[in-house]
Amino acid sequence: MQIDLEKTHSELQCFFEPKGVAVIGASSHPEKIGHQVLKNLREGGVFSLPHLKGFTGKIFPINPKAEHILGLKCYSRITDISERVDLAIICLPARLVPQVMQECAMKKVTGVSIISAGFGEADSKGRKLQEEFLGIAKKAGIRIVGPNCLGILYPPQHLNASFAPFLPFSGKVAFISQSGALLDSVIDWSVKDNYGFSAMISYGNKSDLDAPDFIAWAAKDPYTKVITLYVEGFSDGRYFLEMAKKVTPIKPIVALKAGRTATGSRAVGSHTGSLAGSYQIYKGVFKQSGVIMADTLTQMFDMARALAYQPLAKGNRLAIVTNGGGSGVMCADYCEELAIEMPALPRQLIEKLDKSGKMHPAWSRGNPLDLVGDAGPERYELALEAVMGSEVYDGAIVIQAVQTSTQPLRNAGILVEVQKKYKKPIIGAFMGGVISEASIKYLEEHGIPNYDDVDRAARAMWVLMEYGRYVRRRKL
Amino acid sequence: MGFDGVWEVCQEEKTVNREDILNEIEQFKKEGRKFLSESISGKLLASYGIPIPPACVAKNVEKAVKCAQELGFPVVLKVISAQIIHKSDAGGVITNIDKKEKVREAFHRIVENARKYNPKAKVEGIYVQKMVPPGREVIIGVVKDKQFGPVVMFGLGGILVEVFKDVVFRVAPIDREEAREMIDEIKGLAILQGVRGEKPVDFNSLSKAIANTSRLAIDFPQIEQLDINPVCLYPEKIYALDTRIILE
Repeated sequence: MQIDLEKTHSELQCFFEPKGVAVIGASSHPEKIGHQVLKNLREGGVFSLPHLKGFTGKIFPINPKAEHILGLKCYSRITDISERVDLAIICLPARLVPQVMQECAMKKVTGVSIISAGFGEADSKGRKLQEEFLGIAKKAGIRIVGPNCLGILYPPQHLNASFAPFLPFSGKVAFISQSGALLDSVIDWSVKDNYGFSAMISYGNKSDLDAPDFIAWAAKDPYTKVITLYVEGFSDGRYFLEMAKKVTPIKPIVALKAGRTATGSRAVGSHTGSLAGSYQIYKGVFKQSGVIMADTLTQMFDMARALAYQPLAKGNRLAIVTNGGGSGVMCADYCEELAIEMPALPRQLIEKLDKSGKMHPAWSRGNPLDLVGDAGPERYELALEAVMGSEVYDGAIVIQAVQTSTQPLRNAGILVEVQKKYKKPIIGAFMGGVISEASIKYLEEHGIPNYDDVDRAARAMWVLMEYGRYVRRRKL
Repeated sequence: MGFDGVWEVCQEEKTVNREDILNEIEQFKKEGRKFLSESISGKLLASYGIPIPPACVAKNVEKAVKCAQELGFPVVLKVISAQIIHKSDAGGVITNIDKKEKVREAFHRIVENARKYNPKAKVEGIYVQKMVPPGREVIIGVVKDKQFGPVVMFGLGGILVEVFKDVVFRVAPIDREEAREMIDEIKGLAILQGVRGEKPVDFNSLSKAIANTSRLAIDFPQIEQLDINPVCLYPEKIYALDTRIILE
């Protein structure tokens, strides 16, 4: 199997940084998808939010019955446009698509997103239409996203070439999703949670381009640091396997496979057959190709955020610094379940902290390093400096409960400074709400992922250790 | 992977080649049979360097006695019949046979049981196999997946496989190092490493067997599903005790 990341990236680039975009089936009626897609391109979303901006490249609405839509000049057909168009988005009934594809071929378009449904997923007539447009596209060298998809969003270029409601913030995580509606929900949630994306891709029926192609693109995309994937199934499993093997040593892939409980549909005559559910096999495939498997959406995006913003850990030895006993113990439990090591505090460190005169007499002298409930920023700084500067630890989780002596914002500043100094990963577990909010925002704006529960923080640290180990092994 | 494995059976032919096995598979398919017979499955495994306990096929009772003596007691006798898939259910397996007379007795009893179980069953012979001591049991399997093609499975075997479902998969083929990763992934790894002073099993032979099974699955796309269950593990060797191969 020939895999050329560079070639796939440049072939797909027209979907992400098009020179000119045509919306075929653009409409002046706001309730029509052909209108919403055009508005998304123009304004970044159909809803107005302060962070939204429109695409700055050329946009051409195609509609033989209108003169102007959303202030843009309309064309009867794509071939009437004299300027260059490399991306066409089709929002027309299925039966018209082959004809339009022919016109796209004449216009020398290189990428077509087909939003419309009613093809391979519908009936034999739809399948025939799909074969027809695919034949035309193949001959003309056009690559296809969809049909029956949302399309593509590329926040770094303010490109919302989809009918997803609006662009998320620009970030470092690419999300490739077999489900369109799921992508919609993630967008809405992400803006509330300040979570950014480098790209969002809904590829629908995968008549031509499938998840592995987008993985190849994302591997070479300069904005993407982590690739996340929601998948139900691939057209060609082995293509995915080979692609993932090629990409994971360069960029992490975190994937969620749906259909965990569904048993395989094969006729069962052996033990192996009866045990080979598709989820079980995917688990093996992910292991085999270095893909990190997530069980839930929260897990997937939690891990992706850590990978996007923190350095990889050089080993799996963790220090937990906390101002609360309970959350420290809980965190240690989760870490142990994930096979994270928590070495005891070295004697010199204990002596050093004891001598400082700043610690509470009852501080834990162990790991978790319990600063005791009245800990102020000085103690946080002292302890965090000590463990991060020590050869014994590869990273730290810092837990903060808001207590009467706690100064959340100053603590957040300490985390950021110490992380910068030692370049080992730090994960925040500032637990709380109204009072901690500003400090959590500060942490995240400065690249320290924070989680409101210690099990999430533990998993985020685990992935930095696990992927770090994987990358080191691949380099040997 | 070539066919340089040794066929540890007291048959005239000591080596097998791919052509022979392909011919036999074609013959089975022509006859509309879905399950490969144990003797051919055994040959196939042995040719991939997966050890099976020494065995031979006896067409009559005197040959069975001779085989048993050559193999050394105790032995196990198993019916060979296209019409009998679940050999134990049909009374077609007798174990722990420790002397000549018992071989004769068991031979006749199996033939009789087979007739009773299915009057139409044609007994093609009796499989005489050396009994091996109990070991730690695992399963190695292959199944063809719609999206990934042949995938290889490894896990705790014997009857435990149905209870704990402690198994892992990989897309075939894999090398020995990847096979070793599969072994390390099962929850019951400690059992193979040995508990309470027990010696660890022969991990090298096991990794090799898993890797070679995955290679076999690629070389013979006619195979739809394959179970080697149990594979008996000892500190210095392993034996594939029972193999079931289902054709496409």
